Amino acid sequence: MKLTETNFYQKIVRDPWPYVTGAVLLAILNIALFTATGNPWGVTTPFSYWGAWIWKAIGGHPESWGYFAEGTAHGKALMQQTFLTNGGSIMNLGIVIGALFATLAASQFKIKKIKNIRQVIAAVLGGLAMGYGARIAFGCNVGAFFSGVASFSLHGWIYTIFIFVGAWIGSKLLVKYLM
Amino acid sequence: MADYRLDCMGEACPVPLLKTQKKLSGLNIGDVLIVEIDHSCAMKNVPEWARKEGHNVDIEETGDGEWEIYIEKTK
Repeated sequence: MKLTETNFYQKIVRDPWPYVTGAVLLAILNIALFTATGNPWGVTTPFSYWGAWIWKAIGGHPESWGYFAEGTAHGKALMQQTFLTNGGSIMNLGIVIGALFATLAASQFKIKKIKNIRQVIAAVLGGLAMGYGARIAFGCNVGAFFSGVASFSLHGWIYTIFIFVGAWIGSKLLVKYLM
Repeated sequence: MADYRLDCMGEACPVPLLKTQKKLSGLNIGDVLIVEIDHSCAMKNVPEWARKEGHNVDIEETGDGEWEIYIEKTK
């Protein structure tokens, strides 16, 4: 029997895992991360550091912004850390490498063609809106929802209500402009 | 009893599902719709929706990260 025909390969490597399996694994990993580092999982905060590090490298002064004020966690990350010493940045890199490995192992890797200019405009505008939203909401669906709700923080629940409002508006725009 | 193809290559969720729903509603009973996709979560939600609606569904992997979903309209 070929490896690709085995039950193990089809169930574990190729097919998507059930939602419950993913949820339990994410919960265990987030508990482990919180125990080890004192912070729950987040994704978007390192993105703000990447932007600020680049801006600083080409001569900007992000340290003068309120977000990176001296003595705050953001300020310390900006001045004292780099991509390779910032844990969140390494975890984000791990997500990309892990996803690449998973899709290669399943023989599902494909570089997709951009179909039309509207996809590009939607991706850029959507990315900017998500980046801005993630900063004012203290995180994305990982940092604000998943880790916020798990921390019994009210902001996680407020985020949860408004993610439905955002998804409703987003789906109306999607049907209007991308269909 | 005709075959129709729907090109959803390069489209991300939920566009393939919405296009499939729209296209299938205009077909006759017995017609087969072949949806071409290269987005792995559409490989999950398009067949899930079609089976829930009671149509006959078959998935064929046509290449690395490419699939064809056969949906036979039953009602």
